Amino acid sequence: MLSIETLLHVGLPHYIFLSGILFSFGMIAVLMRRNVIVMLMGVELMLNAVNLSFIAFSKESGNLNGHIMVFFVMTIAAAEAGVGLALAVAIYKKFHEVNIRFFEHLRG
Amino acid sequence: MWEAIAFYSLAIFLIYFAFKTITVPNPIHAALYLVLTMIGLGAAFFNLGAQFIAGVQMIVYAGAVMVLFVMVLMLFDLKAELRAFSRGLFSGGLKVMSAALLAGLAIGAANSSVAILENPDSAKPVADVTRQLGILLYTKYLYAFEALGILLLAVAVGVVAVSRIKGGTHAQH
Amino acid sequence: MGSDAFEIGVNFLKMVIVFLMMVQVVPLLVWVERRGSAYIQNRFGPNRVGPLGLMQLLADAVKFLTKQEFVPARGYPVLFYIAPVIAMIPAALAFGAIPLSMPVQVDAFEWLGQHWGPYVFKFQSYEIGIGVVFVLGVSSLAAFGVLLAGYGSNNKYALFGALRASAQTISYELAMGLSIVGVILLFNTFSFTEIVNAQSAPLAFNFFGHKLDWGPLPNWGIFYQPLGAILLFSAMFAETNRLPFDLPEAEGELVAGYHNEYAGFKFNMFFIGEYGHMLVASALMVIFYFGGYTIYPFLTPETAPHIVAPIASALGWSTNSTAVSLLGALLLHVVLLLKVVLFLWIFIWVRWTLPRFRYDQLMDLGWRKMLPWALFNTILTATVILVMHHSWGA
Repeated sequence: MLSIETLLHVGLPHYIFLSGILFSFGMIAVLMRRNVIVMLMGVELMLNAVNLSFIAFSKESGNLNGHIMVFFVMTIAAAEAGVGLALAVAIYKKFHEVNIRFFEHLRG
Repeated sequence: MWEAIAFYSLAIFLIYFAFKTITVPNPIHAALYLVLTMIGLGAAFFNLGAQFIAGVQMIVYAGAVMVLFVMVLMLFDLKAELRAFSRGLFSGGLKVMSAALLAGLAIGAANSSVAILENPDSAKPVADVTRQLGILLYTKYLYAFEALGILLLAVAVGVVAVSRIKGGTHAQH
Repeated sequence: MGSDAFEIGVNFLKMVIVFLMMVQVVPLLVWVERRGSAYIQNRFGPNRVGPLGLMQLLADAVKFLTKQEFVPARGYPVLFYIAPVIAMIPAALAFGAIPLSMPVQVDAFEWLGQHWGPYVFKFQSYEIGIGVVFVLGVSSLAAFGVLLAGYGSNNKYALFGALRASAQTISYELAMGLSIVGVILLFNTFSFTEIVNAQSAPLAFNFFGHKLDWGPLPNWGIFYQPLGAILLFSAMFAETNRLPFDLPEAEGELVAGYHNEYAGFKFNMFFIGEYGHMLVASALMVIFYFGGYTIYPFLTPETAPHIVAPIASALGWSTNSTAVSLLGALLLHVVLLLKVVLFLWIFIWVRWTLPRFRYDQLMDLGWRKMLPWALFNTILTATVILVMHHSWGA
């Protein structure tokens, strides 16, 4: 299956593979890091990986729907990053802590 | 041949930078590696023929969103990150394996569904992508476009409201 | 890059020359600034070293190169070293995408026993179809150089200066981008070369479907978008951290702001970046609003060869079409340089005339005055184009 021919002729499966690896890296960052901002960066990495797969599929199928989807995902991700950062700043102002282990237990 | 070299070098850089993003303990260094990842993704978009999206990625993501991330991180006076990663080797390994399992499922599903994709229509003219994108945005996806505008308005108002919470570092109670 | 060795070699050489051009403009600009500011302030500038003080910058460069290199204690060495490079590279990348003259056409010739075919060399480092978006994208990366400089210095004042500077930069990018959107709507293209070509024509626009033509004036962007030009010029002042938006480098307040801890050649590289951004800003103003490298009807890509050919034959140079094309391109390049120098002088003139904005005045101007006016400009442009049935391509 893994012949030199498939390795050299770069097509859609290669880009999907790359996008999948980046997505899993983003997910690992969200699961394993404790700093709130780094978790937000993991979310951004996941969204970027998905953008890459959208563009790859759009090139494969020849129409521009993938580009439109990326347009919307990019805008919403930027807005969400803004909101997340504003919340992180507000939390830091109150608690002086951005480690999520501190916020694990709900206090009344 | 050149395409393969370009793709593989870009892929190696992207994977290296993304790996450093998630493993470096200092969060500012992680943010800077993420900036490099996004610039690399802009290059990947350009490679795939999406020139306008590559430009927008550089302007919006690498130029504005990541600057915000780095600014917020510099405002926090973080001491050395005591425990950057979650504790425990077994739970960490479990998380990595579940992420890898999800990635494998997604890649397998994508690769096996390539065969049922609709065939490419007429060859898309390379030089007018932006114009066609604009036409699509304003005719077929007009509702979503306007809804996005309202969403951004709501987000802007919400962010300003959240940052007016009282109780700063020098607040007197 | 090119199809055969000659083309690849010439393109590579062109990239190096354009980059060196940007770097070498900096000593000249600093000299102009020091003598010009002295003239404005009614004193002499540097006049000891060399005639008219021209060698002063060479002496400064030697001084910078021989200073001691150090990193502040407990600073981050990697970030400290890489920040000036990041401040300089976006300006160089953006300058490479801007066309500096008309394309040069080289006929087929024979050299070293081989036939080298006809070529067309563009007078810029690289031509990108989406030139405007590319320039906007890489100029927004310049904010990182500032942030890394402030953070890597491990100095509270440098960090404050860096945060203020980057906040100012990303605020004024919005007004800048919206003014550029007005130009894109007007000329209906992203590529710089097409924008310049659209401006080398007589002033012609549609008036409710009728085509009006006013011969004497060229089709410059300034006649269509005066508000956009003013907004772009002001936003460019803020992007390059020049007075009156100079607070991040304020000498009286933050010592020297984000480049506080820098000495020697790294400090010089920040200034190469700042003056490089100034050069890119002036070039953008000239290309969008003032006709680029053409002055219709005197000096355009069509008339330049006809002006140059008699001069070349009178001086005894060869007049085959390659030489005429090259000389015509150089003539138009001189036209562009004169216009760019005018705008650079205006940058320097404003610096030594206006007082500095306070930080809240600066942010207020950017968000509450420039952004609404830029939005108004965009909406007005789009409405007028729609109503007047403007034919695309001016």
